[in-house]
Amino acid sequence: MLRLAFPLVSHLPPKKPPPIRPRPPPARRYAASAAATSSPSPPSLPELPPSSVYVHLSFCRKRCHYCDFPIVALGSSSGTTPSRGEGADDPRIVDYVRLLLREVAATRPVSDDGVPLETVFFGGGTPSLVPPRLVAAVLDALRGRFGLSACPEVSIEMDPGTFDAARLRELVGVGVNRVSLGVQAFQDDLLRACGRAHGVEEVHEAVGIVTACEGLQNWSMDLISSLPNQTKEMWEESLRCTVDARPTHVSVYDLQIEQGTKFGQMYTPGVFPLPCDTESANFYKIASKRLSEAGYNHYEISSYCKPGYECKHNLTYWQNRPFYAFGLGSASYIDGVRYSRPRRMKEYAEWVQKLEDGTWSHESRSSDSKDMAMDVVMLSLRTAWGLDLQSFSKSFGKSLALSLCNTFRPFGESGLVIAMDMERRALPHIDFELDLQSEDNFGSRVAFIRLSDPHGFLLSNELISLAFGIISPLQGYTFHSDIDYFPVD
Amino acid sequence: MAGAAALRRFAPRIARHVAAAPSLSRNPLQQPERLLSSQSSPEHGPRGAVPGSELALYPPERVRNFSIIAHVDHGKSTLADRLLELTGTIQKGHGQPQYLDKLQVERERGITVKAQTATMFYRHTTASLDSDAPRYLLNLIDTPGHVDFSYEVSRSLAACQGALLVVDAAQGVQAQTIANFYLAFESNLSIIPVINKIDQPTADPDNVKDQLKRLFDIDPSEALLTSAKTGKGLEQVLPAVIERIPFPRGKCDSPVRMLLLDSYYDEYKGVICHVAVVDGALRKGDKIASASTGRAYEVLDVGIMHPELTPTGVLYTGQVGYVISGMRSTKEARIGDTLHQAKSTVEPLPGFKPAKHMVFSGLYPADGSDFEALSHAIEKLTCNDASVSVTKETSNALGMGFRCGFLGLLHMDVFHQRLEQEYGAQVISTIPTVPYIFEYGDGSKIQVENPAALASNPGKRVVACWEPTVIATIIIPSEYVGPVIMLCSERRGEQLEYTFIDAQRALLKYRLPLKEIIVDFYNELKGITSGYATFDYEDSEYQQSDLVKMDILLNGQPVDAMATIVHNQKAQRVGRELVEKLKKFIERQMFEITIQAAIGSKVIARETLSAMRKNVLAKCYGGDITRKKKLLEKQKEGKKRMKRVGSVDIPQEAFHELLKVSNSK
Repeated sequence: MLRLAFPLVSHLPPKKPPPIRPRPPPARRYAASAAATSSPSPPSLPELPPSSVYVHLSFCRKRCHYCDFPIVALGSSSGTTPSRGEGADDPRIVDYVRLLLREVAATRPVSDDGVPLETVFFGGGTPSLVPPRLVAAVLDALRGRFGLSACPEVSIEMDPGTFDAARLRELVGVGVNRVSLGVQAFQDDLLRACGRAHGVEEVHEAVGIVTACEGLQNWSMDLISSLPNQTKEMWEESLRCTVDARPTHVSVYDLQIEQGTKFGQMYTPGVFPLPCDTESANFYKIASKRLSEAGYNHYEISSYCKPGYECKHNLTYWQNRPFYAFGLGSASYIDGVRYSRPRRMKEYAEWVQKLEDGTWSHESRSSDSKDMAMDVVMLSLRTAWGLDLQSFSKSFGKSLALSLCNTFRPFGESGLVIAMDMERRALPHIDFELDLQSEDNFGSRVAFIRLSDPHGFLLSNELISLAFGIISPLQGYTFHSDIDYFPVD
Repeated sequence: MAGAAALRRFAPRIARHVAAAPSLSRNPLQQPERLLSSQSSPEHGPRGAVPGSELALYPPERVRNFSIIAHVDHGKSTLADRLLELTGTIQKGHGQPQYLDKLQVERERGITVKAQTATMFYRHTTASLDSDAPRYLLNLIDTPGHVDFSYEVSRSLAACQGALLVVDAAQGVQAQTIANFYLAFESNLSIIPVINKIDQPTADPDNVKDQLKRLFDIDPSEALLTSAKTGKGLEQVLPAVIERIPFPRGKCDSPVRMLLLDSYYDEYKGVICHVAVVDGALRKGDKIASASTGRAYEVLDVGIMHPELTPTGVLYTGQVGYVISGMRSTKEARIGDTLHQAKSTVEPLPGFKPAKHMVFSGLYPADGSDFEALSHAIEKLTCNDASVSVTKETSNALGMGFRCGFLGLLHMDVFHQRLEQEYGAQVISTIPTVPYIFEYGDGSKIQVENPAALASNPGKRVVACWEPTVIATIIIPSEYVGPVIMLCSERRGEQLEYTFIDAQRALLKYRLPLKEIIVDFYNELKGITSGYATFDYEDSEYQQSDLVKMDILLNGQPVDAMATIVHNQKAQRVGRELVEKLKKFIERQMFEITIQAAIGSKVIARETLSAMRKNVLAKCYGGDITRKKKLLEKQKEGKKRMKRVGSVDIPQEAFHELLKVSNSK
């Protein structure tokens, strides 16, 4: 499933009267969230021990046609709302959770002085298929192993048609406080064509359950744009329905056709029935416009939230901070090392065994500074906060920061890149130019650069790969100069 | 059959004893088997020698120097192989076919680029069958056949007294046959017509005889009928050479004077010159000098090509062989030059001309960082092909590279191919151009070999322009006359002749601007005549023409490597075509790109490539950023294949594609 991260935080009443009466803030609060997220700390090098955990719950009823994630399709037997069936748990799920618990137990905390976890994210797969008591078991294990902060953000991905009110209540009861609802579209035809296991009716039902749930303020809705045969009208409708449902967070993904998926066999990007580039860029712009009008901040390429409801867990990623990860195919970032677990169940199980035996361990490695700089640029430029030039200069050198800015200068003029001051207010392009005139001036006005919304975001791959070319130049090619392709004779 | 030393090539290490007198082993097959199979390193291994005393047995009257001329694929190389086998110079079934075509490019294309010589010993038994039959020394001088090398051909032919004119019995006379015939005819050679491939079911030797009569006034009874493939009729060839071709007339007792036919560079031995001794004798240790440069050299080694380097220590009047004299580069060994006894004044042999470069193009490394590698490859290759002119140039789009001048199109092509095949160089070449002459109002004239070097707005009036022309000969089945005339007139051709060479085939002669035929004329000609047309041309004079420089601009910035000189009336069409092509091959970028063709400040064609709309990975991928990062790094790597002008990235393919744009459609 095109899913995962991007849950939401809660609080702050929406602008327009919501269909359901606004709820009081949830009992469990994650205190500093608003402050922390509206002005996140600069990208930090991963010296701090991780305070975030990603848990992969890999089960789905069936595989969606666009999905290339490591999942296990259970088939229709574990159909809708298997909620209260005590003892009726699918043995595959039970076995997998057991394996997960073994991995947690075999993972040594990075630090002994007990930095507690601030965020936990259950992604998948379809985590809502996992019985709440097993989710609780995982949470308990994490708490035991790493400690949980007073009010952590605990997110879970849920698909319409896989849970009822009681099951959600149960989840909230065991500590889940953020739901990411995989809606994807509001048209039955599109959902069917994607191979989703639910229809629009289940979507509305699920929204009803989520919004009616006591103690759950913070929820996100996932949408996918550029689906086959999707029209502009359909997309506008989906956005309207989304705004009406009043989630605190919205994730808008652009369909990527992956090799080896059913869509990969059926379709070619940009070719009918997929929208052409112009249309799909337009979908992106429409989303940005409609959601902004409805009071959402476009804080990351595919993420929107009501003020203060950024997904704290995902901020870990954007800020290049370390995180633990558990489960099939999941990727962790510990001690400067990114590690992706095996994507096949058998190999994953063997790997867990090795971890327990001590024949495999997360090694610590001082990462290459170029790699680190590329990570920082790639991640921070995905966000509205952009790249913190001062902190980047400090970590990687002023001249590299200057070269980056020089590379982006023409795009500042064309409006794809925005220079911002210390308070993250956009600066006129002339200030950017002035700052770049000399190394001494550099940084006197411009403190951050970001990609503009929507045009810069839409070309983020181009802009970021330009930056990569500066950080790690190719032999025989320079990105910023016209003459020095050649070695000096 | 004579040929005592025939097998030397196969027994380089023990060749000493085989190099004895001719009577020692009359049949090459009597050589021990192991010698026959130890075929190795013909270039560098120690070589057997033929004692000079043996060569002394062949005074000019017993020497025949001849070449084989033919249209491509009419069987020239196979016939040469058969003659070498017949004389025991090479062993049948050993060595590679097309023995004298040593370069890969020659073998692949079935063409000859470098002149080669081969010396054969032959007992002329036709007259008397006894063992006292006179023995002859025959020198086969293999010449390039293509018009690009017509100067080289003329020099090779100048060393001959006769030529075998080979014509395919089914295809008959073709364009190159005619060109070659006239070259030989103008060199006063005795011509022996050989109608070859008579084994083919469609062979029609009588028709060919008629053509030879009509076109060249050759008596049909003179024609030999052969099949080099089956061997039929071959026995008549060498007797005809001896009986019909005069021997070389030189002064045996004069100081040595010789014609330099060609040269090549050997890593171990240095420059090896092929020479024909016109007067006197050349001995190892002699001091010789070049008439064109005045430089003097000592003869370090001298011998015959039999068929590989075979030292003899001497070459006598009329004989053909090789000289190694410590020349460092083939640039010192100019084709057609006269080498003579040092410290004596001799009359230089007629016909020497410096190389004339007719086609120019810029050569740049495909990958910018490979400049040194390309430079090295070009240096090496020009060691062996001194007829290419090379100057450094710099382009704003392609960086540092070279402007190379070639004798013609094929020569350019062959040079490119050899760079790639023999030196592994990856090159981008700019649109080939010809040397134009521009005259300005102030009376100054410039020759333009690189359109980019011609000022787009020179600030002074151009009063006249001239361009080189060629006289093209085209032979086609008569049903194709219409389309070919159309093609030639599209290419600004002027018809000079239109005749029929037999009931089915027409001969057209046109004066055409050289520029019009250098890119795709031949392909198009082949295309509209289902491959039946044959085509050849010779250089002709410059003609005045209405020429303009056309710039290609990307976002207003001229791309120097794409500038061309075109005929004014075609500028718009060509401009539009170039611009459309570029639009197809330049990828969308983050900004709009205007692609323009302009003459001076006047834009004559324009396309706009709209900005890229979207390139974003808005997918949920959890914390797994490694895949995304790989994707972006790959995207970054993609830039490596790009050349940049201003802010616009141009894929290399765009340069290659521009070469395909017809200048004349």
